[in-house]
Amino acid sequence: MYDVGLKPPMLRNLIRQHLPSGNHPLNLNASCFELPKLVSILQTHRLLSESDSHSVDPKLINAWKSAVDDWLSCLLSLLSSDMSDKCWVGICLLGVTCQECSNQRFLTSYSVWLDKLLSHIQPPSDSQLVKIASCTSLSDLLTRLARFPEVKKDANSLAGKLIQPVLKLLNEDKVEAVWEGAASLLYALITLFPASIHHSYDKVEAAIASKILSGIYSDITLKKIGYCLALLPKSKGDKDSWSLMMQKFLISINDHLNEAFQGVEEEAKSNEARRLLVTPGKDLPPPLGGHTSLEGGSFNGTSSERLPTATISTLIFCCCKMLTSSYPVQVTAPVRSILALVERLLRVDGSLPHTMLPFMTSVQQELICSELPVLHACSLELLIAIIKGMRRQLLPHSAYIVRVITRYFKRCALPELRIKLYSIVRMLLLSMGVGMAIYLAPDVIDNAFNDLNSLGGEDFEISPANTGPALPQPSNRKRKHGTKTGSLEENQVGAHPKVGESNTHQMTPITVKIAALDSLELLLTVGAASKSDSWRSSIDNLVIRTAINSCKRGWGNVENNVFLPHESASAWADFQLSSLRTLLASFLAPARVRPPHLSQGLELFRRGKQEAGTKLAQFCGYALFALEVLIHPRALPLDDFYSADGVSNRFSENTYTDSQKQNTLFFSVAQTTEQGAIKSHDDLYNKWLQNEVENENIADENMKDKTSRPNDSSLGNVLEVSEQEPAAADADVHMRNEDEIVVQPRRIEEPIPKSQEIVSANAVTSPPAVGTNLEGGEIESQTALSACDRLNDTDHDMLSGVDKVDFNTIGGKTSSTLPNAEKGSSSMAHLESESSMDSFPDIVDADPDTDTDCESI
Amino acid sequence: MNVVLASSSIDGGIGCWDLQTGAEQLRYKTCASPPHGLASIGCRFLACSQLRDPSAASGHVLYWSWSKPQAQVKSFPAEPIKPLAGNSEGSYIVGGGSSGDIYFWEVATGRLLKKWHAHYRAVTCLVFSDDDSLLISGSEDGCVRVWSLFMIFDDVRKQQASHLYEYSFTEHTLRVTDIVMGYGGGNAIIVSASEDRTCKVWSLSRGRLLRNVVFPSIIDAIAIDPGEHVFYAGGRDGKIYIAALNVESTPSNNYGLHIIGSLTDQSKPVTCLAYSAERNLLLSGSEDGMIRVWDVKTKNILRMFRHSKGPVNNILVVRLPYLLSRAEPKVQASSRRNEFSLHPPLEKYANSSDEDMDNRAIITLPDTIDLPSYLSSQLINDHIKQLQQQGSSAAAEMEVKRLKLDGQRSMEMFQQLKKVYDNLQEFCVNELLDGQAIEGSKGK
Repeated sequence: MYDVGLKPPMLRNLIRQHLPSGNHPLNLNASCFELPKLVSILQTHRLLSESDSHSVDPKLINAWKSAVDDWLSCLLSLLSSDMSDKCWVGICLLGVTCQECSNQRFLTSYSVWLDKLLSHIQPPSDSQLVKIASCTSLSDLLTRLARFPEVKKDANSLAGKLIQPVLKLLNEDKVEAVWEGAASLLYALITLFPASIHHSYDKVEAAIASKILSGIYSDITLKKIGYCLALLPKSKGDKDSWSLMMQKFLISINDHLNEAFQGVEEEAKSNEARRLLVTPGKDLPPPLGGHTSLEGGSFNGTSSERLPTATISTLIFCCCKMLTSSYPVQVTAPVRSILALVERLLRVDGSLPHTMLPFMTSVQQELICSELPVLHACSLELLIAIIKGMRRQLLPHSAYIVRVITRYFKRCALPELRIKLYSIVRMLLLSMGVGMAIYLAPDVIDNAFNDLNSLGGEDFEISPANTGPALPQPSNRKRKHGTKTGSLEENQVGAHPKVGESNTHQMTPITVKIAALDSLELLLTVGAASKSDSWRSSIDNLVIRTAINSCKRGWGNVENNVFLPHESASAWADFQLSSLRTLLASFLAPARVRPPHLSQGLELFRRGKQEAGTKLAQFCGYALFALEVLIHPRALPLDDFYSADGVSNRFSENTYTDSQKQNTLFFSVAQTTEQGAIKSHDDLYNKWLQNEVENENIADENMKDKTSRPNDSSLGNVLEVSEQEPAAADADVHMRNEDEIVVQPRRIEEPIPKSQEIVSANAVTSPPAVGTNLEGGEIESQTALSACDRLNDTDHDMLSGVDKVDFNTIGGKTSSTLPNAEKGSSSMAHLESESSMDSFPDIVDADPDTDTDCESI
Repeated sequence: MNVVLASSSIDGGIGCWDLQTGAEQLRYKTCASPPHGLASIGCRFLACSQLRDPSAASGHVLYWSWSKPQAQVKSFPAEPIKPLAGNSEGSYIVGGGSSGDIYFWEVATGRLLKKWHAHYRAVTCLVFSDDDSLLISGSEDGCVRVWSLFMIFDDVRKQQASHLYEYSFTEHTLRVTDIVMGYGGGNAIIVSASEDRTCKVWSLSRGRLLRNVVFPSIIDAIAIDPGEHVFYAGGRDGKIYIAALNVESTPSNNYGLHIIGSLTDQSKPVTCLAYSAERNLLLSGSEDGMIRVWDVKTKNILRMFRHSKGPVNNILVVRLPYLLSRAEPKVQASSRRNEFSLHPPLEKYANSSDEDMDNRAIITLPDTIDLPSYLSSQLINDHIKQLQQQGSSAAAEMEVKRLKLDGQRSMEMFQQLKKVYDNLQEFCVNELLDGQAIEGSKGK
C-alpha cells in the first residue's frame, strides 16, 4: 500500500481497466459508473503526483513518468473523440488531473489542456453534459493555475480567452444546468483573474442581469449567477464600481417592489424609498445590465399571476454577498437606503391599508401573502449582512435597527423568521456589547418567555395528542354551562382567547426554542451585570425550568434513528445542549447572591457528563469545570508577588480580607465565605490542617481581628467623613456580634453536620473535613459572620427589604438543616439568627463604608 | 512587535521604542500633547491632540501614519481638544473639549457624528470600555460619567430620558486626572484618580463607589494590573504606589489604608503610567523626561528610555500591525497604507442636515477568504448519479446522441454495402452482356 514502486503499475492497470480505449463504443454501465472509484483511487494513492518524498530512484521516476504520459495521451484521445460520452469521461478526468498532477507537468501542458477544453464549450459541441464538464474542468485548471504567480501574465491572457465563450454559453444556451457550469467558471475567473474580466465587464453584467431579471429559473441557478454578479465589481476593484453596482441593485429591487406591493402599501412609502436611493439632482445610474433589463423583464406581462419574488430575492442575495465579501479598497455603502429597504419589506404584512381596499382583488392579496414569508426572510438576511459588513460602524444606525427589530418581533410568528430574528438579536448583542444589552433586554426576555413557556415539542406526551383534544373540552363544557346559565357568560368570553392562545403556543417548534435559549444565553453573558435586577430572577427560574424539562426524559441521541431525517433527530439533543448552556450562563453571570438553583444545576451537569461520547457530555464536563471557579473563587496574584512584597499572609488575616472583600462587593456571599480560605495562594491543605491545630488560637485571633477591623475601616473614611462616633458604634456592634458567635462553639456539643451542610459547596473538593467540634464551630462562625457582613453591605446598596428577605432565607436554610442536628446546635442556630437579627439594624445605621449613610447621621 | 510610544507637553515629538530590545524606532515629529491626548487609532495610525496657546479659538489634532515621521493630516476642531480616544476597531475618535463637550467623529469620513455637553468644565480623560459600547469621561469639575454610545445615538430615547449618561459619579472634589477600566464588560470596575489625593474604585454594574483610597500625594496617573489584584498610582511625589484591589493589605503600614507598597526611584513626579500585559511590565513617565520600565514582580527598573527634557505625559504600549513591523513592502500593505492619506481631517461642525452623507458609510468590508475549490471529482459523482437515473434528460440526450451516431454509422455501412452490391450487379450484368455478345458473335 505504501510501496512507491507499485504506483506506476497501478496507474497502468487503471488505464487498462477503466478507460475506454480506441474505437470501441463505450458501455455506460460497465465503465462510466466506475469513474468515482477510479478517481478516489487516483486521489488516495496520489498516482498522478509523479514524485515521492521518500524515493528518488531514477528508474522508478521514469516508469512513473511514462505511465502518466500514457494516462494523458489516453485522456487526450478521449477528448478528441466524437462520441460525447467518451469525451465527457476524458474532460472530467482531465479536470481531476489538473488538480492532481505534478507542478512541472501542469506548467508545461496547461495551455494545451486549456485549448482542448475550450473547444468543447464552443458551438460545435452540443451535449450539455460535455459543456458542463468542460466548464468545471476549466475552473479547476484556473484554480490550479492561480497558484503559480510566475505565470500570472500568461494566465491572465489565457483567462481572457475564456470570457467570450462563457458569455456565449450564458447568452445563447437554453439549459439551466449549463449556465450553472458557466457560472462556476465565471466565478473562478472573477476571483482568480479579475483583470481578465475587465474589458467585458458590461457584457457580463448584462448577460447575468437578464437572467436574474427574467426570474423564471430555479433558485440555485439564480443564486450562483447572482453571486458572480455581486463579485463582478472586484474585477475593477475601485470603490465607484462597487457603489454603482450596489445602487443598481437597490434601485432594481425598489422598482420590483413598487410593482409587487401595488395596493398593499401606501404610495408615499415607495416614493420615500426612491428618494433615499437617488440623490436629487444627480443622474439616475443606468439600469442593471444596461438595456437588457427591459427585454428580460418578462414578468411585466404576467405580474398579475406571479410576483417577481425570485428576482427580488436573488437581487437581495446579491446585495448580501456584496456586503459580506472582501473588497480590495474601502467602499461607500448606502446604509440608510438598505435599512429603509429592510424596513419597507418588513412593514408589509399583506393586510390592506384602508385607502387601498377597492383596488385589490382577493386573488392578488392571497398571492402577496403567499410570497411574503420569502421576502421577509430575504430582508432579514439583508439586515444580517449589513450588520456583518458594518461591524462597529453601525453605531449611528443601531437605534434604528433595534426599533425595526423590536417592532417586527412583536408581530412575527413564523418559526423560521423568528429564528432569524433571534440570530440578529444575538449579533447585535455581541457586536454592540453592554450598551445594547441594556436596551434590548426587555424585548428579548418577553419573546423568549413566550417561546419557552409554550408546550410545543417539550413534552411529547402532553402535546398534540393529549392537549389538542383535551383543551377544547373545558371550553365546550363551559359553553354548555354558559348556555344553561347566563351567569357564566363572562367566563366563557374569558376562556376563549386562552384556548386559542395555548393552541398557537403549542406550535412553537423546538428550533425556535433553541434560538430563544441561545439568545438568552448571550443576554446573560453580555448584559447580566448591568441593570438586570428587574428580570434576573425570573430568567434564572425560566432557565432552570427549561433545563430540567429538557433533560427529564433522558438524553437525546444525535445519531440514533436512521428513519428520521437527520435534523429532526438531532433537534432534541441540540435543545438539551442549548438549555444547559444557558443554564451555565445563568450560573456564571454576575449576580449578588448565589445562583438559587445551583445544586439542581450541578446535578444536571453531573448526570449529563455521564453520557460518554456525546457533545452534551463534553459540554457538561466543561460546565462543571467552569463552575468550580464559582464555588472556589480565586483572585490570583502575580507569581511570587508576596515574597517580593514581604506582606505576610497568615491565615488569621483571611477573615479580615474576607470582610473587606465584602465591602468591595466583588463577589457574592457564597463565594466570599470560601474566599478567605482559598485566597491564601499556597496550599489549601496546610491551611486546613493549621486550622485544626491552631483552632484555639484562631478563635482568639479572630476576635482580635474583628475588633481591629471596624477601627480600620472607619479610619479609612475618617479623612472623608471625620465622624468617629458612628464608627465606634459600629465597632461595638461587631464586638458584640463576634463575641456571641465565637463563643458559641464552646457551648455547643456537636454542630458538625450543620457546618458541613453550610459549606457543602466546598466539601466537594476540600480535604476530608476533620470532624472535631471545634473546627466545625470555627467554620460556623465564619459563615455566620460573613452572612452578617453581607447583610451589612447588601443593605447599603439596595436599601430595601430585599436583604431582609435574603437574610430570612439564609436563616431559614440554617434552621432547615437542623432536624438532624442535636438540640444544642438548634439552639445555637436560633441564637445565631437572633444575634444577626439584632445586629442587623445597628450595622445599617453605623456602616462606615457609605459616606451618604454617615452623612445622614 | 510591541512598541512604547511617548509624547510630552513640550515639543519633543513622539518617541517610539521597541519594548523588547529597547531600540529606538522612528520619531514622529512636532507634537506637544496634553495628558491623555495621544491615542493609537485601531493600531492603524496615531492621533494626538495638540496643546495650543490659550488664545487659540480652535483645537488642533494631528495624525501620523506608522511609516512617516511627518504628521499627515491636520484637523482643527471647533475648540481646544485635550483628551483623545479611539475605539478598538479604529472607526471612531472621541475628543473632550475644554468647554465640557464631547466630540464624536467617524474616522473614515471625518464627520462629526455627535457632540454633546458632558461636563460643566473641561473634559480631562476619556476611556472606551472593552466592548466599545460605553464611554467613560472625567472632568475638571471632579465628575466621572459613564455614557452608553447606543443611547447617545438614539434620538428617540434621548428625548424620553431625563439625562444622557448611564451613571454620574460626583464623589471626587477636585479635577479628575486619570481613569482606567478593569476587565469584565458590564461587571467591570472603574478606577479614577483625582487631585483631591484620592483614587476611587467604582462598580460599573451598580453604579456606586466601592472603595476610596487616600494617598499621601496627588495622583496623576493610574494603571491596573490585568489580574485586578492591585492598581498602580503614580504620585506627584515621584512614587508609584501599589494599592490593593483584590489583595489583603496589612492594616498598619506607612502610607495608609489599602496601599500596600510603592515603587520608587527618587525621581520627579510621575505623570503617566502604562501596563504591558505581555511581560508584566509597568511603564512610567516622569517630569524629568524619562520613561522607566519596571518589573512589577521584583520592583526593579529594567530599562529607561530618554524621551526629552520636558515632562513625558503620555505613554502608550501598542502592538504594531504585523506587516508594518516586518517592514516588508508587500503589495497589499502598500495599498492599505496609501489608504491612510485618504483619511479626511476631522470636521469642525456637525451638519446633520446633509442626509446624503448620512446615508453613506465608508466601510472596509470583512476580510473573508473565498476561493474556488476543485470541483471535478464532485461533478463526476453528480453526473454519474444523473446518468444512473436513466430518466434524466441529460442521460437521455447522451443516449440519443449515441444512437444517432450508431444510426449514422449503420447508414454509412448500408450505403457501402449498397455500393458494393451495385458494383457487383453492374459487373455481373456487364459480364452477362459481354458473354452474350461474345457468344452471339461466335454464333454468328
